[in-house]
Amino acid sequence: MTLATNSTRAPERALGLLLLIGGLIGFAAAFVLTVEKVALLTDAGYAPSCSLNPVLNCGSIMRTSQAEVFGFPNPLIGVAAFPVVAATGAMILAGALLARWYWLGLQIGVTLGAGFIGWLIFQSLYRIGALCPYCMVVWAVVLPVFWYVTLRNAQAGIFGRRVAGSAPVRILAEWHLLALTLVFLAVLALITEQFWYYWRTLA
Amino acid sequence: MKPQLKVSLLVAGLFVAVLAVLLVVTGRDGGGADADAPGGATDSRLVREDSRIIGERGSSDVVLVEFLDFECEACRAAFPVVEDMREKYGDRVTFVARYFPLPGHFNAERAARAVESAARQGKFEEMYHKMYKTQASWGEQQVPLDDLFRQFAEEIGLDMGQYDADYASEEVADRVQRDVEDGIALGVQGTPTFFLDGERFEPTSVDDFDKALEEAVAE
Repeated sequence: MTLATNSTRAPERALGLLLLIGGLIGFAAAFVLTVEKVALLTDAGYAPSCSLNPVLNCGSIMRTSQAEVFGFPNPLIGVAAFPVVAATGAMILAGALLARWYWLGLQIGVTLGAGFIGWLIFQSLYRIGALCPYCMVVWAVVLPVFWYVTLRNAQAGIFGRRVAGSAPVRILAEWHLLALTLVFLAVLALITEQFWYYWRTLA
Repeated sequence: MKPQLKVSLLVAGLFVAVLAVLLVVTGRDGGGADADAPGGATDSRLVREDSRIIGERGSSDVVLVEFLDFECEACRAAFPVVEDMREKYGDRVTFVARYFPLPGHFNAERAARAVESAARQGKFEEMYHKMYKTQASWGEQQVPLDDLFRQFAEEIGLDMGQYDADYASEEVADRVQRDVEDGIALGVQGTPTFFLDGERFEPTSVDDFDKALEEAVAE
């Protein structure tokens, strides 16, 4: 019954690819941010490579207290965590069957990540008032990773059978891409609205 | 194509289309009228006819322009340095202040309007001092501080009827906004940004500042 196994494995493979590629991109962004932070620390006048204009400006973001919530630069979290995401993706692609506890652990990780990103998006837009391109790359990676890991776990019964069979999960699983698109557009709309005065001058 | 891919693309496409229309409709006002190249001492966007001079015009033709935000901590940090420089070179160098309230600072635009309103009664410098000296007490608050700024205006002895009218006027808001647009056109990325004789100038220390002004004056 290779056909049947292939079709049940297909979404898992897609998730594996997402985690691998997303993890690598996220790692690259976090790594660059860390390097920029070091450069900024050693030279106060340093202009980070992503300080493009008053709005797209990571220099002003990296100097804020929000940039080191836990007492050390945030990107260090990404440097440590994204490789785990990438490795998990590689394992899935290699055909590994992961235990329930592993998926649960991953779920906790991506949930914390998504919560943190949500907070950072809010801070960036409404408290700091600038956007940092590399950070936005991280946002763009964490959101789909969280979304698809959660969806996978919900469907696989990690949160219990009742959740797996519930109507919302079925509908969301069917319209997963639309849901993700709407979340992305919502963030884009908030960015557009908040910095409208600036985008307007570019038109 | 799968229906959900179709719908997602459609939604995304619509979003982009609405955005483009909004940009075209609301953009294109202001700017463009004077399309001289950015930079250079003669660039009218650097210093306008009615740009605010801190103190008096200097005797030489050396001009230091600062794009500033009254709620920005780095600007407050630069404030005493600029004051020192004014004390030392103010008789020769013209210090020009341009408003550049950053959107992340909740009250920065209000503060700029308050200062501009004071400037209209000849008290730019007093209000400018007031803002930076008190910044620690009002900066970073996420509530409108119109009342506090009004109190500042009262304290420096402005005609309050005139102040209220100016503060709320479109003219003052536009005046602040034009400074912002000039700054953006000149490539200002944040505050404070200095231009010394038309050249972007990034002092990393008080010494830097001192030397640059000394050289500019000596020329």
